Amino acid sequence: MRSKIKKNHEFFELSKFRRRFTLLVLLTLFCILFSRAFFLQGMQRDFLQQEGFERSNRNVELYAYRGKIYDRNNQILAASETVRSITMEPNRVEFKKGDKNKLANLLEVKIKFLNKKLKSKRNHIYLKRKVDPKIASKILALKIPGISTEKDYRRTYPDQEISAHVVGFSGNDGNGLEGVEYKKNNFLSGTHGYKKILIDARRRVVDNLSEVSVPVDGKDVHLTIDKRLQHIAFQALKKTINDSEAISGSAILIDSKTGEILTMVNYPSFNPNERMRMRSPFVKNRVITDAFEPGSTMKPISIAAALEKRVVNINTKIDTGNGYYKVGRTRITDTKPHGIISVKEVLQTSSNIGVAKIAEKMSKKYLWQTYSNFGIGNLTGANFPGESKGVMRDHDTWKKRDHASASYGYSVSTTVAQLARAYTPFANKGEIKNLRLFKNDPIKIGQRVLSIKTSEAVLKMMESVTEEGGTAIQASISGYRVAGKTGTARQFINKEVGYGKRGEMKYNASFVGLAPASNPKFIMAITIEDPSKGSNYGGVVAGPIFSRVVSEALKIYSIPQDEIEIKDEIGNEKKEI
Amino acid sequence: MKLNLILFSLLIVFALVKINAHHLYRVNHHALEIEKRKTIDLKDEQNQLLIEESSKSGNGRISEYAKSKLKMNPPDKKQKRVIK
Repeated sequence: MRSKIKKNHEFFELSKFRRRFTLLVLLTLFCILFSRAFFLQGMQRDFLQQEGFERSNRNVELYAYRGKIYDRNNQILAASETVRSITMEPNRVEFKKGDKNKLANLLEVKIKFLNKKLKSKRNHIYLKRKVDPKIASKILALKIPGISTEKDYRRTYPDQEISAHVVGFSGNDGNGLEGVEYKKNNFLSGTHGYKKILIDARRRVVDNLSEVSVPVDGKDVHLTIDKRLQHIAFQALKKTINDSEAISGSAILIDSKTGEILTMVNYPSFNPNERMRMRSPFVKNRVITDAFEPGSTMKPISIAAALEKRVVNINTKIDTGNGYYKVGRTRITDTKPHGIISVKEVLQTSSNIGVAKIAEKMSKKYLWQTYSNFGIGNLTGANFPGESKGVMRDHDTWKKRDHASASYGYSVSTTVAQLARAYTPFANKGEIKNLRLFKNDPIKIGQRVLSIKTSEAVLKMMESVTEEGGTAIQASISGYRVAGKTGTARQFINKEVGYGKRGEMKYNASFVGLAPASNPKFIMAITIEDPSKGSNYGGVVAGPIFSRVVSEALKIYSIPQDEIEIKDEIGNEKKEI
Repeated sequence: MKLNLILFSLLIVFALVKINAHHLYRVNHHALEIEKRKTIDLKDEQNQLLIEESSKSGNGRISEYAKSKLKMNPPDKKQKRVIK
C-alpha cells in the first residue's frame, strides 16, 4: 500500500526545472493580468467608465402634449396625433432586390435621395418625418436592416379649410405660426421633460437615474366659435363667391349680447393639414386683418349720431334733389333720384345725398367722435394676432368732402369685425360690446354710446331695409324680423387712378344685419370683394348669406319667432307668432 | 471561529438577499415602464379617436352624405312655409 502511494507521489513530483518554469509562466501571466488591470482601471478608467455609461445610460425625452383647441361645444378644432418618423442607420442598411424601390415609393422620394442619404457618414439620420402610421408599418414590414421608425407627433385640424383662418397652424417644430395657434402658443405648448434611465444588456429599462424633469402638458384653449355655424357660413360664402365670380369674401357672426364670435370665415381658404399647398394671400384672417371702405353700412351710425344730437328726427324731410349733389369739387350721387324723403327713407333707400346732408348738420369733430365711440379706428377686443385698426384720419385733417363722404362710408376704412362690433349698440339699447374669441377672456361691460331711444329708433329704421322697398329684401328670414344695412362701395385702386373709370370700377358688396329685430341675438357682417357676375349690390350678393346662416343660427339656438304683422285674405292686419 | 462562520454565512445570505431584492426591483421597474408606455399609447389612441370622431362627425361630411346618399337638400325660400 505504502509503495503504491510512493509510486503516485513519484508520479506527480516535478523536476526542479519544470517547477520553476511553471512558476515563471504563472508569474508572467499574473504580471500581464496585473498590468492589464492596472492599465484598464488606472490609466483608462475615465474613458471606460464613460463608455460603460453610454452603453447603459440613456436620456429619454418625455413628450409634453400640445393643448387642444376646442370650439364652444367642446368639438376639437386642433389636436396632436401620433405619427412616425422614418430613420436610417446608413452603416447597417442592406437592401434586398427591389426593396430600395419599394421604400422610395412608400416614402414618395426618388432613388437618388436614398442613395445620397446612404452615403451619409452620420450614424442616425431621418429619412422622412411625420409619416402616416399605416405607411410606417408598411415600411417596417419590408424588414430592411438599419431602417426603423420613431414615434412623433403632428398637429391635425379636423375642420380643415373651414376654420383654418381662426385656428391657424403650427410649424414642424410644433410652434404656432398663425391664428390662435400663434396667439396662444405659450399657453398651448407644454414643457418637454426628460429622464436618465439605466438599461440592461437586453435593452430593458431597469432603473431611473437621478436626473428627472417632469413634462408639463400644454393647456387647452376654448374658443367661442360654433363649429356647426362655422360650416354653414363657410358653405354659404363659398357658394356666393363661386356663383358671383368674386375674388374673395369674409363673414363674421357674433352674439350681440356678449360680443362672442360665433363664426369667422373667409373664402378662398386653405387646408392647414396640407402645408405645402398653402398660398400665402389666403392664409391671413381677412375678417380681422383687412380694412376696406365700408360704404353705406356706415349710414346707420351717421344717422344715429344725428338723432342723438337731435339735429334731425326720423320724420325730418331731406331734399335729395335729382340724385346729384356737389360738395366742393366732389359730386355725390344716388342710384336714382329720390326727391324729398324722410330720414327713415334715407336709410331705407340708402341715399348718399340724404346722409351727406344730415352729416353737414353736425360738426366734423362730433361725427368723428361718434365713429370712434362705435369702434371705428379701434381694436375690437377679439385679441386676434395681426388685427387691423382700420383707418380713420383725425377730424382736423378732414376736408369738406371727407366730412360728407365719411357719413356714407368713404374716407374711412374698417375691418369686417369692426363693422359687426359697430352694430352692437343697436342690439343692446345703446351699449357697444367688445368682441370675444376666447372663452376664458373676461367679459367686459359694454360702454354706452347711444341713448336707448336712439338705438331703438335706428334699429326700427334698419328693419325697413329688409322689407318691401328696401335694399336687402334677400336678407329677410321667414318667421323673424330682420334689421340691417347694405353697402356697395367702390374699391380704391391707387392714388393715380383713384376709384377707376366708370365701367372699370371694382366694388365691395357688404351687408350687416341683426336678427331677430325684436331683441337682436345675432349680428352678422359680410363683405364680398368684386362680384363680377350678376348684380354687385350688397343686398343681392351678401344678403342671402345672412339669411342662410342666421336662419340656421336662430334654429340652433332656439330663438322664438317674432310677432309678424300678416294681412289676412280680406286685408285686415293681424299679429301672429 | 464558530461566530466568524455564522457571521460569514449571514453575510453571504444578506448579500444574496440584496442581490435578489435589486433584481426584483429591476424586474418590477421594467414592468412599470411597460405600463407607463402603455398609458402613453392609450393616451395617444384616445387623442386619435377624438380626432377621428371630430372628423367623422364634421358637418361637412354629414351634409355630403345626406345629399349624396339620402338625397336630402335644404329647402329653398319658396319651399319654406311659416306655420301660424
